[in-house]
Amino acid sequence: MKTKAEERTITKDGQLLLKKMEQDQVETVWDRLEAQSPQCGYCEMGLSCRVCAMGPCRIDPFGEGPQRGVCGADADIIVARNLGRMIAAGAAAHSDHGRDLVEVLAEVAAGKAPEYSITDEEKLRRIAREYGVETEGREVLEIAGELAAAMQEEFGTRKGFLTMANRAPAKRREIWQKVGIAPRGVDRETSEMMHRTHMGVDNGWQSLLLHGLRNALSDGWGGSMIATEVSDILFGTPAPTPNMVNIGVLKEDEVNIVVHGHNPVVSEMIMRACESAEMVELARKKGAKGINLTGLCCTGNELLMRHGIPMAGNHLMTELVIGTGAVEMMIVDYQCIMPSLGALAPCYHTRMISTSDKARFPGMEHREFHPDNAAELALTLVREAIENFDQRGETYIPVDAVPSVGGFSVEAIIGALGGTPQPLIDAITAGKIRGAVGVVGCNNPKIKHDYGHVTLTRRLIENDCLVVDTGCAAIANAKAGFKVAEAIKYAGPGLQEVCGALGIPPVLHMGSCVDNVRILVLAAALANALQVDISDLPLAGAAPEWYSEKAVSIGSYFVASGVYTVLGPMPPITGSMNVVNLLTSDLNDVIGASFAVEADPEKAAVLIRRHIEAKRKALGLSALDI
Amino acid sequence: MKQVQVHPERCLGCMQCMLACATAHSRTKSLFTAVGESPLPKPRLHVGAGSHDEGFPNRCRHCDPAPCLLACLPGAIFRDPDTGTVLVDPDLCINCASCAMACPFGVLRYHQDWVAPAAKIVAQKCDNCLERQHEGLIPACVEVCKTGALTFEESDEALRRKTREVARSVSMGMEEQPLIPTGVQLLRQAKKQRFEMRCR
Repeated sequence: MKTKAEERTITKDGQLLLKKMEQDQVETVWDRLEAQSPQCGYCEMGLSCRVCAMGPCRIDPFGEGPQRGVCGADADIIVARNLGRMIAAGAAAHSDHGRDLVEVLAEVAAGKAPEYSITDEEKLRRIAREYGVETEGREVLEIAGELAAAMQEEFGTRKGFLTMANRAPAKRREIWQKVGIAPRGVDRETSEMMHRTHMGVDNGWQSLLLHGLRNALSDGWGGSMIATEVSDILFGTPAPTPNMVNIGVLKEDEVNIVVHGHNPVVSEMIMRACESAEMVELARKKGAKGINLTGLCCTGNELLMRHGIPMAGNHLMTELVIGTGAVEMMIVDYQCIMPSLGALAPCYHTRMISTSDKARFPGMEHREFHPDNAAELALTLVREAIENFDQRGETYIPVDAVPSVGGFSVEAIIGALGGTPQPLIDAITAGKIRGAVGVVGCNNPKIKHDYGHVTLTRRLIENDCLVVDTGCAAIANAKAGFKVAEAIKYAGPGLQEVCGALGIPPVLHMGSCVDNVRILVLAAALANALQVDISDLPLAGAAPEWYSEKAVSIGSYFVASGVYTVLGPMPPITGSMNVVNLLTSDLNDVIGASFAVEADPEKAAVLIRRHIEAKRKALGLSALDI
Repeated sequence: MKQVQVHPERCLGCMQCMLACATAHSRTKSLFTAVGESPLPKPRLHVGAGSHDEGFPNRCRHCDPAPCLLACLPGAIFRDPDTGTVLVDPDLCINCASCAMACPFGVLRYHQDWVAPAAKIVAQKCDNCLERQHEGLIPACVEVCKTGALTFEESDEALRRKTREVARSVSMGMEEQPLIPTGVQLLRQAKKQRFEMRCR
């Protein structure tokens, strides 16, 4: 018989902290899920519509009650509209994150953000050339300014195409053109989705879903890709770096500062402030041995990828981290920050700071970061965190941290392969590696914490599938110990041989959730090298524990880019079997890839392996019966 | 005589019946104003969650003989002779909770109510919306239930209907007509799987 904590998470640190939080009588996300049960079936099936004030409406899936909303929309239209708006919200979140980075790049170029700088000049020049910006013999800041302006153009409507979408293989771009889903502008597609789903606009469930794919592509090959590339330009392109993970990264004898959220613009400045000699000295004066900066979620991933900053945990660990009583300050920016955190922190001594002009939280102090005040404000906050050290009560850090390696940008992977993707292609051709799978996405309390990610990844690597991961999935796999060179012991013989020879782990940490575009770029590079489409390759994607609208957009741009993608939790679409059938089967005929939904990671692994072997067979490579 | 019938397999757990019930038992009878009343009106039926997060509308069965009525020492609980509805007289109720102990279904609650003496906590339960029925309306929970999980009909007719549905679902040579639509089944399977995985 499993205890409640064991039913909720597979992680040791999670289980022990859950028990402690229960003793402390502090509510967590799992308790709130229980309180919400049963959740509304109309909403779970996508059959409720709140779009207009003639409604709200709902469709009776049993066929007895209303079959149309007040406007006349049936189940197909309502489900498609709701899904479309989820994609729009996800694409908007990623792309707005991208816009924030471009704005910093523009301010750096204009000399208005003196504390930020161009860290990867080579990448700046490379991307600038991609955008048609003249780089020969020009000053770095001049190039940066022109690139920032060119990227800002992509958000509007005048340009009509996305520059980086040209990275996709020619065959893929032809499919987009033929189907009419080539993305025309980052904000344009999101805005058009909101228009189409307004009452009385697009009432074709198929055309709504196709625009959903275009909207997602505007995120994947637009907003998110801009976010990743500009982050690399400003803060450095990641290279393999060792780090430590799980709640054991918190230190009893140091000032613990945790950054949580997504955008490196804030966390990078906090990191620099933590490293300043003046602050370290102040911490010593206050009786601490030093300042220990750790990350949560994706802003943690950003720091882990570039600097090896330790990672305290993923989405479902964000409340539990505070329960250690060892966190002097948590600094958040935006996305996936549960509004419960501000109410929970006063149970301990943790000070909660919100920093973004667009993200406020109850019970947090709002200290707004802007490029011109970031360095100074970061120092002020770190000083305040140090001053909070002596307010600490009892602490509970019950586990030791686990080592992992992060920093596998596309550049780093190609570097590890010796400068060309050919060794990876050779290994796949020889059948040593059967294929590659992106295991990505969030945590969701409906799925036992980390069980989906870790089980699926374990099954894939032991069957010689290379796994690349991002976001919360990447943190789960790091905690499970899959990200050190010795982890090849978990891999099948072929993958073990290849990774062993290269000295890399069988699971490669490719970054935050915005960095899923690194997987797209890698897939495109492989397809281009073989002169085939992405959908021809033995690749797959999986989001075993997804929860957020961003994940819906990511899943959709994976599929629209030709990658078969298996979701764990059921999206709200079962109210329309037409929508279910299109997304899980008929899309194959339209764009050469589709979704599948399978909550059990053991079965999802079989689906993925079967798909990979089928793709191998079609390419004339050795194939197994799964 | 028509009664509220519960068809749990059709419950989607949306809890609209609870909102409608509380509103029907409010002073102002409108959701928008009811939420501002003091005491705050509360529902008489409750949607519980099954082991796989499926909804179940738990409502008074108006048993006969009714254990709550038999257990009520001050005689506050009585049966309406015309409709068979088991009712509570708030003036006589002494808030002793004997009815709740006797009730096998856990449908009693104790709180203030605008029809009870001011500030007095009394036993509250489903009254079959007799007030609405006198106005020619059906019970509020049934009115808002769009899936047919709650119906207001003769129990004989409800059972005959069920027989016809089952018979049709198993009749040979006909195009298969599942009792539960495919989309609903998909969702329920996914939820069940989620709960089974917790025990691994």
